[in-house]
This record gives sequence, structure tokens and C-alpha cells, in this order.
Amino acid sequence: MAAPRYIAEPADKLALARLDGLCALFHGPSGATHIVAPPAPEILAALREGPADAATLLDRLAERFEFADAGAADAISARLAELEAAGLVRRA
Amino acid sequence: MNAPEDPETKGFVASRRAVLALGAVAASTVVTVRPALAQAAGSILACQIPVPGPHAAGSYIAADGTTVAPGTPGAAPPLSRPLTGEEAKVLLRGSTPPGVDPRAAQAYANYIRRLQAGMSGFTCYASLQMPR
Repeated sequence: MAAPRYIAEPADKLALARLDGLCALFHGPSGATHIVAPPAPEILAALREGPADAATLLDRLAERFEFADAGAADAISARLAELEAAGLVRRA
Repeated sequence: MNAPEDPETKGFVASRRAVLALGAVAASTVVTVRPALAQAAGSILACQIPVPGPHAAGSYIAADGTTVAPGTPGAAPPLSRPLTGEEAKVLLRGSTPPGVDPRAAQAYANYIRRLQAGMSGFTCYASLQMPR
């Protein structure tokens, strides 16, 4: 089965404020405010280039970042799952 | 396929390769701090709480709500599908929603009560706790 592809909530649905390394996101449609740490903002930005599965997303991020830890594939899937649970990304 | 992305793409501010920590699988990078219920009442009842969440997939749920090894005697098996917010409300009131084994209801309710910020389903649970 193909890996799920994700899309990010559009930028116009989110109000963003940087908080000294963290980021506060107000999500208008749900009325919820989320405090997110890296790499969540970077994932949302990368997904705005278009729908992507975890592997594609990792490739996009790898063009811009060195990864600080091993196990990137598992970690990125975990990050996508929690962003999905928070309603900030959804399946394409 | 695999066409190179435009490095100037909007949304990225890094002009050089910064180091990005992806975090541990079990760690969390999202905490929901203030669900504003007034405009989300409908979606709250449709939100979902997986029991257990992906961090403990396959684990059984002990009576006190902790996750334990699969097959642990006296523990409840994982739910085959996530609970809806409405079902979670029923459980937290001490009742059993349709499709849930009444003998396991207390374990599932305690699991929900133990959810912490960042765990899958916490946003939904937190929303259920907010006064209307």
C-alpha cells in the first residue's frame, strides 16, 4: 500500500508568532492554539510546496537541513502523526 | 520525478544548511494550549482519541490506564478504532459506549485521563474538559 501523503493547513488558516525557539500557531478553523517546537514549523513549510509522503518530505527537508539525529524516517513519521492529531496537517 | 525544489521557495528562511533536530520518536513537538471551544463545539464531538496512541501501538491497557505488554492478564486490548469525542465523554462519565467491552471501559477511561500534552488524542480530551 502506498505511504500516506500529507498536506499542511494553508498558511492563511494559521496565525504564527515566534517565541524564542518555539512557535505559537493559532489555528482558526479549530480555534485551537498550539505551541510547536522544531521541526514542526519546518515540516509545515515544506508541505506547503505540495502534498508529500514521509520519504518525500524528508528529501525536501534534507535539501535545506542537516539532521541532528539518526532514525530520521521514524522521527518524521512520528512528527507527521502528531501534527495530524493536532489538525495541522491532513492526509492528501 | 525528483525534480529539484526551488531553494528560494517561500516559507523557508534558511539560506544555508542549518541543523534540524527531528526529535525522538516518542518525544513530542506539539502542545495544544488553549482550545477555544465556542467555534469548535461540533468538531470536538467528532475529534478522535486512539486507545492507545501511536506511541504505544499494540499495547494493552491496564485497569489504571497505563499501557502494558500485549496479553497482560487483566488488561484490556487496544481498541480497533479511535474513540470519538462523544464516546470518550460517555466513558469519562462512567458509562460504556456501544461497541466497547463494559469490562474494559474503566481501563480505557483511565487511559484517556492519563493523556498528556503532545500525546495523540490529548487535544480532543482537553477540549472535552473545557467548560462550554
